[in-house]
Amino acid sequence: MNPGKFSRLITFLILIFFYIPIAVVVLFSFNASKSPVWVGFSLLWYKELFTNSYSIWKAFWNSIIVAISASFVATALGAFGAIGLYWGKFKGKDYIWIISYLPLIIPDIIIGVSLLIFFVFIKLRLSLFTIFIAHVTFSLPYALMIVFSRLQDFEYSIIEAAYDLGATEEIALFKVIIPISFPGILAAFFMSLTLSIDDFVITFFVAGPGSTTLPLKIYSMIRFGISPTINAISTLMLAGTIVISVFMRKYLKYIF
Amino acid sequence: MKYVSGYTLWLVIFFVIPLIIILSFSFLEKTPYGGVNFSFSLEGYKSLLTIGYLKVFWRTVWISIISTLITVLLALPAAYYIAKSKFKNLLLILVVIPFWTNSLIRIYAWIFVLGNNGIINQFLRFIGLIDSHIQFLYNPWAVILVLVYTYLPYAIIPLYASIERLDNSIFEAALDLGCSKRKAFFKVLIPNIKTGLITSIIFVLIPAMGSYAIPDLVGGVNSKMIGNEIARQLTTAKNWPAASAISSVLTLITLLGVILFVRNSKKEVLN
Amino acid sequence: MLGSNVEIKNISKFFGDFQALDNVSLQVKKGEFFSLLGPSGCGKTTLLRIIAGLEQPDSGDVLFDNKSVINIPANKREVNTIFQNYALFPHLTVFENVAFSLRLKKISETEIKERVGKLLYLVRLEEHKNKKPSQLSGGQRQRVAIARALANEPKVLLLDEPVSALDAKLRQELLVELDNLHDQVGITFIYVTHDQAEAISVSDHVAVMNNGKIVQTGTPYEIYESPANNFVATFIGETNLMKAEVRETNEEFVRVFAKGIGEFECYKDKEVKKGDKILLTLRPEKIKISSKPLEGLNSFHGIVEEEIYMGYQTKYFVKLDEGYILKIYKQHVNYLLDEKIIHWKDEVFVSWNPNDSFIIEVEEN
Repeated sequence: MNPGKFSRLITFLILIFFYIPIAVVVLFSFNASKSPVWVGFSLLWYKELFTNSYSIWKAFWNSIIVAISASFVATALGAFGAIGLYWGKFKGKDYIWIISYLPLIIPDIIIGVSLLIFFVFIKLRLSLFTIFIAHVTFSLPYALMIVFSRLQDFEYSIIEAAYDLGATEEIALFKVIIPISFPGILAAFFMSLTLSIDDFVITFFVAGPGSTTLPLKIYSMIRFGISPTINAISTLMLAGTIVISVFMRKYLKYIF
Repeated sequence: MKYVSGYTLWLVIFFVIPLIIILSFSFLEKTPYGGVNFSFSLEGYKSLLTIGYLKVFWRTVWISIISTLITVLLALPAAYYIAKSKFKNLLLILVVIPFWTNSLIRIYAWIFVLGNNGIINQFLRFIGLIDSHIQFLYNPWAVILVLVYTYLPYAIIPLYASIERLDNSIFEAALDLGCSKRKAFFKVLIPNIKTGLITSIIFVLIPAMGSYAIPDLVGGVNSKMIGNEIARQLTTAKNWPAASAISSVLTLITLLGVILFVRNSKKEVLN
Repeated sequence: MLGSNVEIKNISKFFGDFQALDNVSLQVKKGEFFSLLGPSGCGKTTLLRIIAGLEQPDSGDVLFDNKSVINIPANKREVNTIFQNYALFPHLTVFENVAFSLRLKKISETEIKERVGKLLYLVRLEEHKNKKPSQLSGGQRQRVAIARALANEPKVLLLDEPVSALDAKLRQELLVELDNLHDQVGITFIYVTHDQAEAISVSDHVAVMNNGKIVQTGTPYEIYESPANNFVATFIGETNLMKAEVRETNEEFVRVFAKGIGEFECYKDKEVKKGDKILLTLRPEKIKISSKPLEGLNSFHGIVEEEIYMGYQTKYFVKLDEGYILKIYKQHVNYLLDEKIIHWKDEVFVSWNPNDSFIIEVEEN
């Protein structure tokens, strides 16, 4: 059944709705004036961003450090978790699934608040490290589910075949299971990276002085009002997003 | 089992235990500078029963429900069109890009367009239509607009996935049996994509219920939501039991909502 | 011969409350092609997995060459399996799939190349050695699975419905190939299938299973021609089952009366006496159909109820005067157009040799 005119109209209106505000932001990042009235093309704000914005870059590198380290840990733990759930026969699997789904159902702000109270309670100073812990925590279930969904593409007999051909458990793990789940592991890693770089709410609660990440920095800049520098950062981040989305397309099916 | 242990341990320590802690803190006494006294108290919950709080709760619920309704109603035809389109890969990418875009940037885009110094106000001032500005933002409808904008991709993607998985011949069969296109949409499509529909509703409703940044940045004093109140109790008011109590209630509401919703829909599918 | 003999001793296996195998014992001779045949859920795959070591029985023993292997794990048993879905490693090429077990044994690269080359030659896949399984057809995948299982030089090869995923024509071809392969490698093959035609056409011996028990073991000929009971008779091929009562007996034959048919003679392969209730089987291809009664045979009059022309044969369903509907398969040995053809609603006589109808179950009076 071919879609009717109505659904086509809605789709195009949605795409316009999606892109008009973003396009305006991008356009005005090249404006020669500080106020949002177009006066002419200029790279002024990019120059400002690259030469005169130490705190933005500090926040950027903080975000990168947290994103990469948290994604590594989350992907490793999540992938092994998925392999264990796929491979093993043990009691309590249901409970593991429940604590995996809960973080996806509970609003982010609750995770942020509960971690903040937890860190203060155990007297852990708020820093990049606490942000790292928080990011691993909210990325873990995604990593697990992405790798698990990749593994589900294979029948269990593939592992039995490895045993049957003389493989030990380690060999089955390293020569068969990890290689076949690799696209899923990669997708999980990128998903964790994106979640980590994007996160504002949870980070907002668990960040301490001196551990500002890029979203926190952008947030405090937005609170001061509109500024062409934000437009310039937004444009660059958008470009990064487009590159990643195109690259990720291959792995999307393990994410949804 | 050993492979799952690291994962499980991490989630228990950094997710389950913190949740248990806030639940227990919600029943304790506050201390003036943050933190708790370890003696039982229902003060945290009592403060929730004031008119002010009930208003915030009610506002959070209606803003979230209306945003979800608009989002899903827009997402449904769009997901359907994309799934059946010849250009579905391109269209999908166009939907996924905003999905991956930093949410603060998307909020900023609207402030940039609709803000008191945003381009629309600047333009209207420039052509001399107004002297100062029209306040588009800082009201509940601005919050709804940005919520819909932010979560629309989250709703389209699961719906797209479940429509795409459907065998096209079931529509052909429906048309062949004399169903009109509109009827086929409601009688054949909707019942068959229930999981996708549930997923997309949950994907929108829950973040909306717990939203913090959107009402904080584009909402005014009369459009604060629960998330903002939790943050205020935690940071400015330094009332941990109250913050914990609101968090516990919000968690309970979302969990119960999800469980009831999923169970009811499952029943309907079975019937 | 490189193969082992395999002995199954009193194996039982429960999955929860469900008894998958009930005290199963079995002997497979060195180097033979042995089939486990039965409907789905009869326990044949469980038995195969127990032989492979992929499943542990609750009781009983498995012996290779008279030595118990029950405590040897799957990865150390000298047995390899061809899985129903082939379970090829999707991330490895055909060559690497076949080389998998050799690489685990720390064999030199030159020897691996040589041995894998030989196996790929054996299954005619040399040209495809650098392809991934996803680039192969179903038949090719199956041949990779065979080469991979043989690479380890197992003494026993287990095949779990290896051709069931393929279409009918390809299935026949691969079956012949498997048979040839068995002749070449000379190891013991244990083949699980639910398809009686497959089992009968390739096996040296067949064990028919039902409800976790072995119902009959024998050569394909024995199983088809003298089924042990009602289940085997109906599961293997098609047959006419008749309930009858013994009227008279002599040395070799019994005179019986069957409701819906009448009185006739059948072969006495079980000891019966007058008044016993018995169950008889009569294969449809053993019955002759003609327009006149035939001398010296059991012959009855009836009307053709249904006629299905199949090319190489015609299936008739003839309603006898007393009401029984008899299945008859007539092979077309002669050029049909010259013959007087029997049609729907024709009056006919059906006749069979008393030797061809025999007793499978007896209920003593």
